[in-house]
Amino acid sequence: MLELPEDTRKRIHELQELSDKAQDDDQGARQELRRQLAQEVPEVVARCSDSARTYRRLLAKRSSGGSPLVEEAISERARRMVLELAGENPTPLEVLLSERVASLWVLVELQEALLAAWYYKAEGASPAFVLQMARLQESSNRRYLGAIKTLAQVQKLQGPSRVQVNIGGNQVNVSR
Amino acid sequence: MAWERRDSNFYYYQSKRADDRVRKKYVGTGEVAQAIAHADETIRRSRAARSERARVELEEARTLASAGEGLWEAADVLAVAQLVAAGYHKHKGEWRMKRRA
Repeated sequence: MLELPEDTRKRIHELQELSDKAQDDDQGARQELRRQLAQEVPEVVARCSDSARTYRRLLAKRSSGGSPLVEEAISERARRMVLELAGENPTPLEVLLSERVASLWVLVELQEALLAAWYYKAEGASPAFVLQMARLQESSNRRYLGAIKTLAQVQKLQGPSRVQVNIGGNQVNVSR
Repeated sequence: MAWERRDSNFYYYQSKRADDRVRKKYVGTGEVAQAIAHADETIRRSRAARSERARVELEEARTLASAGEGLWEAADVLAVAQLVAAGYHKHKGEWRMKRRA
C-alpha cells in the first residue's frame, strides 16, 4: 500500500480546513492560505509528487508482466506525458496534477489489459468476474477524467502564460 | 457428483442444475463410471483453480487501484487550496473569480 507520510497527511488536513474557511469568506484564512501555499506547501506538493512517481513505477512494473523493457517503455511514455501535460515552466502543483493524470492513465490501461487477457483466455472469465472488473475500470476511468479536468481548471485559472524568474538561486513561476 | 453405495456395489451419479433445481442423473458403475468420475473431478478442480485465479487477480487489481487514493485526494485538496487562495470560488460546480466589493 502506498501511504503518504503522517506529517504530510496532517498538513493536507490542515490545508483543507483552511481552504474550507477561506471558501466561507474568512479573509484571514485566505491570507494564511496564500502564505502557506507560498512558503510551506511546496514541500508538501513535492512529497506528493514523489509518492505519485513511486505509484507510477509500481503500476508500470505490474503492467510489464515481468519484462524490464516493457516496464521501462511504460515508465518513459508516462514520464513524457507528464512533461507534455505540465507544459512549460509548470508550478509544482501542475507537475503533481500531471503526475496524477499519467498514473491514472497507466492504471486504466492496465485494467483494460487485464480484462482483455481474461476475455482471450481459452477458459474464459465468469460473468461475475467481468462485471466486477468492469466496475473497477469504470471507477478508475471516472477518476482519470476527473484528474484531467482538475489539471485543466488549475492551468486555465492560473493563466495561460507564466514567466519564470530566478530569485536567490530559486526558480519561481509567476502567473501573469 | 457422487458415488452411492448399495449393498456392496458403487453407483456413480452426476448432479446438474436445471430450472433452479438440482437433478441427479445416474451415470453407471464399474470402470466406465470411474473414468467419467475422474474426468468430472478434473473439470471441477480446473474450474476451482480458474475461479481462485480470477479472485486473486481481482483482489490485486482492487489493491492497486486503491493504493493511490490518499494521494489523489491530497492532490485535490492542494488544487482547491490553490484556486481558493487565488480568489476563486465554486459556483454550481464551476470555479469563478470572486467579485470585489
